[in-house]
Amino acid sequence: MIFVTGPLYSGKRTFARKTWGEVPTVWDVQDLAAGEADPPALADRLAAEYEVVIATEIGGGVVPVEPEVRAAREAAGRLSCLLAERAETVVRVFCGLPLVLKGELP
Amino acid sequence: MLTLVIGGSASGKSEFAESLILQAPARPRVYLATMEPFGPEGAARVARHRAMRVEKGFITVERYTDLAGAEVPGGCAALLECMGNLTANELYSPSGAGEDAESAILRGIDRLLARCADLVVVTNEVFTGGQDYAGDTGRYLQVLAAVNRAVAQRADRVAEVACGQVIWYKGAER
Repeated sequence: MIFVTGPLYSGKRTFARKTWGEVPTVWDVQDLAAGEADPPALADRLAAEYEVVIATEIGGGVVPVEPEVRAAREAAGRLSCLLAERAETVVRVFCGLPLVLKGELP
Repeated sequence: MLTLVIGGSASGKSEFAESLILQAPARPRVYLATMEPFGPEGAARVARHRAMRVEKGFITVERYTDLAGAEVPGGCAALLECMGNLTANELYSPSGAGEDAESAILRGIDRLLARCADLVVVTNEVFTGGQDYAGDTGRYLQVLAAVNRAVAQRADRVAEVACGQVIWYKGAER
């Protein structure tokens, strides 16, 4: 599994399509993390079902006041760590450009 | 040579961008200021950046909107600071391009590229703080991100500055 992350609107999906083609891909997985009882199982499922898993980094701002928003943000960050552990390649897309954090690009 | 420098607030991106211009052989050095100073905070920020440029031989050109209309000497080394302000001005200022903000800014960049020997563009990293922005803020982020991606694509070098340290995404020094 290839894990692609990066800031909002950084060109993650475009980069993934250009680099790995039309393979089974899922994006916005940061939204799946909130309320998930078993995050490692979710990460396992995503890694098994998809070749490319894409998450937006959302943890860089001020800690949210609302507890549920705070929990969702925390869960999203943890899920990204679990996905990166499982991935053979991890790429951060920034301004449309890749920074390889793990493995290598084809 | 086009260089895009991106970083968070107070990351040291301005100092790094300025150092790139100071290393460039082209003359004159032009500082393209896009921030319209509002109130004491704006004035203080402008004063700080002006002080940084004292005796470094920069000509300051203030340009809050319509970048393509900026008059810069041919063959100059220009430092454009910053894209975050220019995008806000184009979107929301009465003299701005509004819906055409993105294309107006990129026209300006292309024109500067044709005029300048060296161009360094400073922009803001504001995209990791969440995704649930309403209305105007969401639109601002979309336009600024599109401009950043388009400038990064045109650029010879792209660098992020964090805590004053430089991460190269593109270019010879990577």
